[in-house]
Amino acid sequence: MTAHATAASHAAHDDRPFIRKYVFSTDHKTIGIQFLFLSLFFLLVGGLLAMGIRWQLGFPGQPMPLGGWLPQSVAPGGVVAPKTYNSLVTMHGTFMIFFAVMPLLVGVFANYLIPLKIGAPDMAFPRLNMWSFWLMIPSGGLMLASLFVLGGSSAAGWTVYAPLSGTPDYSGVHLGQQLWCVSIVIFGLSSLLGSVNYITTVINLRAPGMHWFRLPLSVWALFITAVLAILAVPILAGAVIMLLFDQTIGTHFFQPDVGGQPLMWQHLFWFFGHPEVYILILPAMGIASDIIANGARKPIFGYSSMVYAMIAIAFLGFIVWGHHMFQSGMNPTLASTFMVSTIVIAVPSAIKVFNWLGTLWRGSIHFTTPMLNALAFVAMFIIGGLSGIFMASTPVDMYIHGTYFIVAHIHYVLFGGSLFAVFAGIYFWYPKMFGRRMSERWGKVHFVLTFVFYNLTFFPMHILGVGGEMRRIYDPTVYDFLRPLQPINVFITVNAFLLGLSQLVFAVNFIGSLFKGEKAERNPWHDTGLEWTTASPPPHGNFPETPHVYHGPYEYSVPGMAEDFLPVNTPPAKEVA
Amino acid sequence: MEATEHRTPNYVAIWGMLAVLTVVEVAVVYLRLPRRLMVVSLVFLALWKALLVALYFMHLRFEPKRLLYIVLAPLPLAVILVFAVMHGFRGP
Amino acid sequence: MTAHAAAPPLGHDAPPQGGVGVYTQKVGMWVFLVSEVMFFTALIGSYIILRWGTGAQWPEPRSVLAIPVTALNTFILICSSVSMVKAYAAATRDDQAGLKRWLLLTVLGGATFVSVQAYEYHHLIEKGFLPSSGLFGSAFYTMTGFHGFHVTCGVISMIWVTIRAFRGKYAGGNYRGVETIGLYWHFVDLVWIILFTIVYLI
Repeated sequence: MTAHATAASHAAHDDRPFIRKYVFSTDHKTIGIQFLFLSLFFLLVGGLLAMGIRWQLGFPGQPMPLGGWLPQSVAPGGVVAPKTYNSLVTMHGTFMIFFAVMPLLVGVFANYLIPLKIGAPDMAFPRLNMWSFWLMIPSGGLMLASLFVLGGSSAAGWTVYAPLSGTPDYSGVHLGQQLWCVSIVIFGLSSLLGSVNYITTVINLRAPGMHWFRLPLSVWALFITAVLAILAVPILAGAVIMLLFDQTIGTHFFQPDVGGQPLMWQHLFWFFGHPEVYILILPAMGIASDIIANGARKPIFGYSSMVYAMIAIAFLGFIVWGHHMFQSGMNPTLASTFMVSTIVIAVPSAIKVFNWLGTLWRGSIHFTTPMLNALAFVAMFIIGGLSGIFMASTPVDMYIHGTYFIVAHIHYVLFGGSLFAVFAGIYFWYPKMFGRRMSERWGKVHFVLTFVFYNLTFFPMHILGVGGEMRRIYDPTVYDFLRPLQPINVFITVNAFLLGLSQLVFAVNFIGSLFKGEKAERNPWHDTGLEWTTASPPPHGNFPETPHVYHGPYEYSVPGMAEDFLPVNTPPAKEVA
Repeated sequence: MEATEHRTPNYVAIWGMLAVLTVVEVAVVYLRLPRRLMVVSLVFLALWKALLVALYFMHLRFEPKRLLYIVLAPLPLAVILVFAVMHGFRGP
Repeated sequence: MTAHAAAPPLGHDAPPQGGVGVYTQKVGMWVFLVSEVMFFTALIGSYIILRWGTGAQWPEPRSVLAIPVTALNTFILICSSVSMVKAYAAATRDDQAGLKRWLLLTVLGGATFVSVQAYEYHHLIEKGFLPSSGLFGSAFYTMTGFHGFHVTCGVISMIWVTIRAFRGKYAGGNYRGVETIGLYWHFVDLVWIILFTIVYLI
């Protein structure tokens, strides 16, 4: 069946019933928007859990505001109990990584953008795509449910190290951990189904003229991310299943008493876990590239090296996993090999950073909200990457592993990197998705507030970490050597709350603009991408006629042209002004 | 866009080979060969069978090279994972 | 920006940009199978690591497991792979009778394999060999259990494909659905070839 033959018929008469159009939809755009609402909800959940963590760290032993509403077993007298604190830390990480950032970057942008940007009417397997979204519902539901079961949710960190995670007698957590495992397996399936779609679509459904090296970097990034997911997520699934069996049917994979190996959990988990962090950053890099080229009115500097750098990052990302385990007692020779590979992976990342800078150099920079967020992405990613260099060196990591230095790094790359890119992407593609514009003024207010409070929250964590404050501890003030650092914890907590409150600006802008936003034209950002050649929002089937691509993705400020951008589907005859 | 036209392999012959290889595998076990030799033979025989299934039943022998690259991609990673972790446990 | 006026004819006749030169469902199935390779790598890799990497106590597999029965079962699964590829060949030739016959035999082969496995599990459990029986028990049941789960899903899918074949959905040389499920089926056979050797024989 030629998907293209049906494009015209789809666009002409869309007579799907309501439930097929908005609920059980196979249209990639609807699915992308469903992922958007779902993941923004989980971003809120993760954020609230973070507020709980920060309260306890800033004001240990003090009753939390609204803490009285929690059950006494969880928060006696409104004070976060130690086991509850472990749950908060675990579930904050779990929700943010699996249910907020991954769906935001991949579920939203891969689904929404790929077919549009390559000129296809939809994904290769639209029904499978629908399943990919709907599997997130039981997965997310089970994970939320685990917060409320007897014994509490998983409390072994988002990395659920064995044997703590596999032994209810140690952790006090029974059903909660099992629900975590089942939820993650279902999530893995959702992720895999999505990735099969993204990969197959990019390989086989590109419009005529859309050669590989004419793909926008966002599509390259999402494609490479999907390849990472296909190769890494199944390892997580296998490991989590083994962990689940250890807890339920009495297997001994990670139980030392019968010869099981806790260290093997760490190897398996991080073999997935490291590619996972590249899954969390590559789409952000791709989105930032598209937006920076657009905002600077210049082609991306070094397009092909950007592609090769992403491929190098993805490949190298598979051979660095041991750097998460330097303190585990692992074989030191093996550790050295990981140190080398980890230092090497800084190179392609740096190439990308220099290329973004090269793009901005002598550009005609338009400081729109998406551009501001994309620029913040680059700057914060640099800081996050620099802290990575310290951690890559095993002797240094011996001191800073498991401290707040790591927490600082994580949040600089995940919030400073991924989340700013997510904001950039939402502000940028909102007009295409909803046919309305978000308020530029309030977008800028949100940006400034977020940028300021975010840095005030997370930068001091570098200092805490080097000062020796360990992560995942319930009360730093029980340690004499940490007590002098407590004012920093209070400072961070206050700024964290302000950061959280600042997101209300985004929420109001996002929701309000859905109803009251200024109607968007077809191409408000004067962008070269194919998605901007069709209506806002695009019809079912995307393009009335299959587009034909003649140019690379970033033809901005082409000399001699009347307009400062050249859409990729402009035929050669029309180029001359 | 189609797979290239190719002469249909003799599936019955492949089936025969697979049957014979399976018998040989079981025989190797019961022959009580020296451990090293037995392990090497079994791995070799298993790989041979796997290749027959992959190349002929799954038609990889006749597919475009690009598809082969996709299929081969996980194999080095699998080897790296197992080797690195084994090395980690057993030492240099 | 109206750019279509001088463009060449588009739409129905314009071919998409060539991919790997293989039809979409096949690409999708192979990508999915790549993920399955990684999934079994986690399980089989763990077995290899635990058995030969950690110096753990490990019984001789043939003292616990029934090799002859499993060897026969391996042969049955291989036969079902042959019947599957014969079904595919029949579909390419539009031999509908052959297609239906070979698909039914494949379902039969797969169902037999699962039944024999289930019988083997029952026998082992009666003997006292459980998932909690040391590392070997843990790894054995997890690996063969997930393989059996994959075969079961395969049998269910195969039944569905057979029903579609009887309804004439693969008539007129329309073989793609048969080839696609065939790839999954052969993969499951391939994993078993490796599992049988590593777990039962070595």
